[in-house]
Formats: sequence, C-alpha cells, structure tokens
Amino acid sequence: MTDDDAELVALIDNELDESRRTALMARLAADERLRQRYEELRETGAPLAASFDELLGQAPLARLRAALPAGELVRRPSDRFGGIAVRELAAGVVIGLFAAGLVAWAAWSLGLIGGKEDWRTAVAEYADLYSNDTFAPLKPDQALEAAELSFVGAKVGADLTPENVALPGLRFTTAFMLSHEGHPLGVIAYVDPTGAPVLFCIHANHAADAPLRSERRGDLSLASWSRGGRGHLVIGHMPEERAVALAQMLEKRV
Amino acid sequence: MSEASRREVRAGLEPSLARLWRYALVLSRARDVTDDLVQATCLRAIERADQFVPGTRVDRWLFAILRSIWLNEIRSRRIREGGGFVDAADALTTDGAREIEMNITASAVLRAIDRLPEAQRETVLLVYGEGYSYAEAAAAFGVPIGTIMSRLAAGRAALAKLK
Repeated sequence: MTDDDAELVALIDNELDESRRTALMARLAADERLRQRYEELRETGAPLAASFDELLGQAPLARLRAALPAGELVRRPSDRFGGIAVRELAAGVVIGLFAAGLVAWAAWSLGLIGGKEDWRTAVAEYADLYSNDTFAPLKPDQALEAAELSFVGAKVGADLTPENVALPGLRFTTAFMLSHEGHPLGVIAYVDPTGAPVLFCIHANHAADAPLRSERRGDLSLASWSRGGRGHLVIGHMPEERAVALAQMLEKRV
Repeated sequence: MSEASRREVRAGLEPSLARLWRYALVLSRARDVTDDLVQATCLRAIERADQFVPGTRVDRWLFAILRSIWLNEIRSRRIREGGGFVDAADALTTDGAREIEMNITASAVLRAIDRLPEAQRETVLLVYGEGYSYAEAAAAFGVPIGTIMSRLAAGRAALAKLK
C-alpha cells in the first residue's frame, strides 16, 4: 500500500470532495506511475463485488429461515385477499437438518384465527412473505436437488424426482418441509427468470379426491387438486392460466 | 409507533437473512458461529423491535445489532476462552486455523479478503458489498472517515497484489 492509495481509492469510489478531487486529477495527469497505481486499485472493484455476490449465494437460506424465532404475531392488512382477517403466523424451530444443511425439517404452525379457511389460505399468506431475494440465490446441483426431493417426498408420501417436478420456464431452488394442522406440508420452491418465487406444495392431509380448480387471491394465482390423500397446490405471482397449466403438468406426473 | 416498528422489523428479517449471514461469516470467519450469530440477531431484533424507528432501514439496524452481538458477546467470550480471535485494530496477521472454514469454497479474492484484519474485512464488505457510503460506514463503526479510507485502501491494495 502506498501513501496515495487512500486518496486514489476514494477517487475511484467517488468519495473525494471537489478540491481534493481536482488536485488529485491534476497529479494523475502528470504522473504515469500514479496512473498505473490508480488502474491497479480500480481493477479490484469488479472482482470484489462479484466475490461478495458469490458469498451471498452460499447462504443456507432454508436453514436460516427455519430458525427464525417463534412467537411473533404477523399482522396483515384486514382487506388483504378480499377481507380475510388478521392471521397469526408462528414460526417454529428446527428439529433436524438434512443434506448438507440446505434442507431443514421445520415444525411450523400456520395458525388461522377463526379456522374457516383451508390450508391453501395458510400457504397463500405464507407465500406472500417471500420476495424475489428469498430463493433466487439458491443454486443446488442435481444431486442436492434429488436428495431434497427424496426427503420431502418421503415425508408426504409422494415420489418426487428432479424429472417429475421439472417445470418449463422455472428453476428449482429448494424443497423443504412445513406442517399445517399436524399434517406434513412439503414445499418445492422454483423461481422464474426474474427471481419471482413459484411454489408447488403437497399437503398429506388425507383429503378426499378433488378435481383441479383455480382462483385468484390478491396478486397470487392458485391451482389446486387432491388425490391419493394429498392436497396439491401451485401458487405464485403469475396469470391464473399459467398456474393451471403448471398444475396440469404436475397432476399427470406426481 | 411500536406496532409499526414490530411489523417492519418482522417483515424485514427474512429478506435480510442471506446478507446477515454473509456479514456474520465475514466477521467471524467460522461457519459454526455464523448461524448462531444470525439467529441471535433475529431474536434480539424481535425483543427490541419497539426501538426501531419506522421508515428507516431495517437491514442496517439489523447489521448494527449483529455487529454489537459479535463484538460484545461472541468475540469477547472467545478471546476470554482463548479462542484465538485477534483484536481488529491491532491485528498484523490473521488466525490461520480459522481461515480454512471460508477457504473451502472461496475464490482467490475471498481468500484475500479473509486474510485482512477484521476491521478491514467488515469495512470492505459494508462499502463494496452493501453499498454504505464512507460517511455511513464511519457512523456505523464510530470512526473518522479517514480511517474508512485507510481500511478500504488496504483492502484494495491486498487484492491488487493478487495480479
């Protein structure tokens, strides 16, 4: 490090005041060695930013989410989803970890005040908490994807593989477990090219078979069906027809 | 205000998790500490949500909590226990044993960052990873802007040597 480095770096970062900037620019114009040093320091900027991005991509999001503290009320606007009342969302604790720490079995309680809404409402409220940053950084390799799907599939009693849950235009990011009213709830999270999350949920709720149906709730589209004692739901910020098309593909395969 | 504070804090936790984890890893350089540090930060944030000023940045408030827990609780305890953490301001060399944990998957640049003293590491992260201005970083760390300039220059100089 040279005596001039601090000022050169501040110039690169556009943090010098006008008088110091002017003085340093004059020196740079006259000093070849100083210009070389400026370039050396400037060229570190892009690799630095890329490396910090790389580190962000390594964050074990599923595990961190599952370990969020419990017991805090999340109050939602009362007019959300056409008049659904305030909900209580209580996050539980991690009771086990699997597959290099990227899949957590989390006991979550998605409590619904009043109890008249079905599990799809709970998932809709929960899904609405996710942002484009939630899943997009996750880039599992195929072995991890297979392991996560196998784990979730075993919990909900379904055969889940990278092939039979693959969806056009969507990238698999993670699969993890929740529960609703004591029944296992598997979640497969995809992102679209913009990073927006799309969830495929399987609820082992012993429900009677029901045909595919779709609906809009706020900005979310839902497409759901029940078969073999399991409820299935595709949900995300997308046109309703798109949700139905994705659900029809999954209905044939899972 | 407290209802709004609690709502904003709770809503801000999940979107901040990955960045909190990154900050915790850069500070601690130990993955076994990182998850605990993030979780402790989230707990403390919920406990103290009433102190958050609605409309200000939740992520930076969370970062301040994380840093405080690291400096005042975890690192100080490890130093007392002989855990080998070096005081940031006086560090001339890093603790070699701890480098390994980040180095497993890190690029050459991350390894170079990892070898910087703690104060330089976190300054480089907050300014170049999180977009803090020099003035914001100086305020966050309670140091003069000249100190921020020196830390960033040292960080960039170390990276320039890789070429």
